[in-house]
Amino acid sequence: MVEKEVIVNSDAGIHARPAMMIVREAMKYPCEVTLIKDNITADAKSIMSVLGLAIISGSKLTIRANGDGEAELVDTLVNLIEKDFKV
Amino acid sequence: MGKITVRYFIEGEGRIDLQLRLIAGEGGLDKEIKFGEINRPGLALAGFFDYFAYDRIQIFGQGETAYMSQISYEEKLRRYSEFFSYDVLCCIFTHEFIPDKLFLEFAEKKNVPVFLSKRSTTRFITLFVHIIDELFAECVTLHATLVDVFGVGVLLTGKSGVGKSETALELIERGHRLVADDMVIVKKIDESLLMGTGSEILKHHIEIRGIGIVNVREIFGIRSVRNRKRIEMVVLLEEWDSTKEYDRLGLDEKTYNILDIEVPYITVPVRPGRNIPVIVETAALNQRLKKVGVNSARELDEKIKRWIMSEGQNNG
Repeated sequence: MVEKEVIVNSDAGIHARPAMMIVREAMKYPCEVTLIKDNITADAKSIMSVLGLAIISGSKLTIRANGDGEAELVDTLVNLIEKDFKV
Repeated sequence: MGKITVRYFIEGEGRIDLQLRLIAGEGGLDKEIKFGEINRPGLALAGFFDYFAYDRIQIFGQGETAYMSQISYEEKLRRYSEFFSYDVLCCIFTHEFIPDKLFLEFAEKKNVPVFLSKRSTTRFITLFVHIIDELFAECVTLHATLVDVFGVGVLLTGKSGVGKSETALELIERGHRLVADDMVIVKKIDESLLMGTGSEILKHHIEIRGIGIVNVREIFGIRSVRNRKRIEMVVLLEEWDSTKEYDRLGLDEKTYNILDIEVPYITVPVRPGRNIPVIVETAALNQRLKKVGVNSARELDEKIKRWIMSEGQNNG
């Protein structure tokens, strides 16, 4: 299991398009991956689940992956969020 | 979950309306309610402040208000200033009793919200307990879809992409009702009661691969959704695994643990050509039958056993 924390800086928070980008990356890997905000967990492979977290600018997220490619996926997602989805 | 503030408690959408009217202390609406309990401040008003539970919701009933209207101005001044020297959470006057000006002035100055309720004290407390229990209930968020199928709250779980949302869509099309898709907030209201709702923002939206996000309520109408539903069974959808043994009899009842409550649970293997919604419907009806004491599998088994016995006797 790999886990990393990241702070969302994007002003608009994670709305539909950024959520889709997260899901798209997550779907490329077979491992399970969850986003955790304020003890609420969401499946990073589900758009509705990610949107349901209501992630705003300044939210602290934990990304946790378990399975094949876990480290790579967590790094990819952290990078995506840190670069403000401009990759 | 975020903090439960006085404002949230009073305004809480989708709950029974407490019908409270704010008359002073608006500045204290964002105070946090830390305990799901109340205090009757009679003793404090009479001057006994030991164990004064100031950080709970203070309920002024007929006893308190009768006392307040009886004491002299000097006494009031003394009692109120001591009362408000604590960081009182908020005050609720039942029977719509409007407290005296002095009390309201103190409340306004100290930012202690004061509300009036039309209800009687007992009635108000009953309602209060009902609402607060739910707010303070143990809670977990599950990656699942909750549908009311023939009145049975069926929680569909399984990996992403296995077809939970598609199954829910087909169930809606067949006249059943969606509670939440992909993210279900489960609250343990009682030792045997799990209540499921959707998140406030996602409410009644569903994501279908190929179409995107759709609003079920708008497309299928109000009868296709409901806000909350007791969770009565769990259906795990999984890709058909030919090496795995699936239940063929239904004699053993498996359960799924959610917040320490055991919920009846079945695994349904998904394979092209299997009509999952019909299977879920049948499972829900079977669950209802079991609840009224009819267990199809067990009854058939007993019938066969009786037949075997009687055949054995005839042949012997």
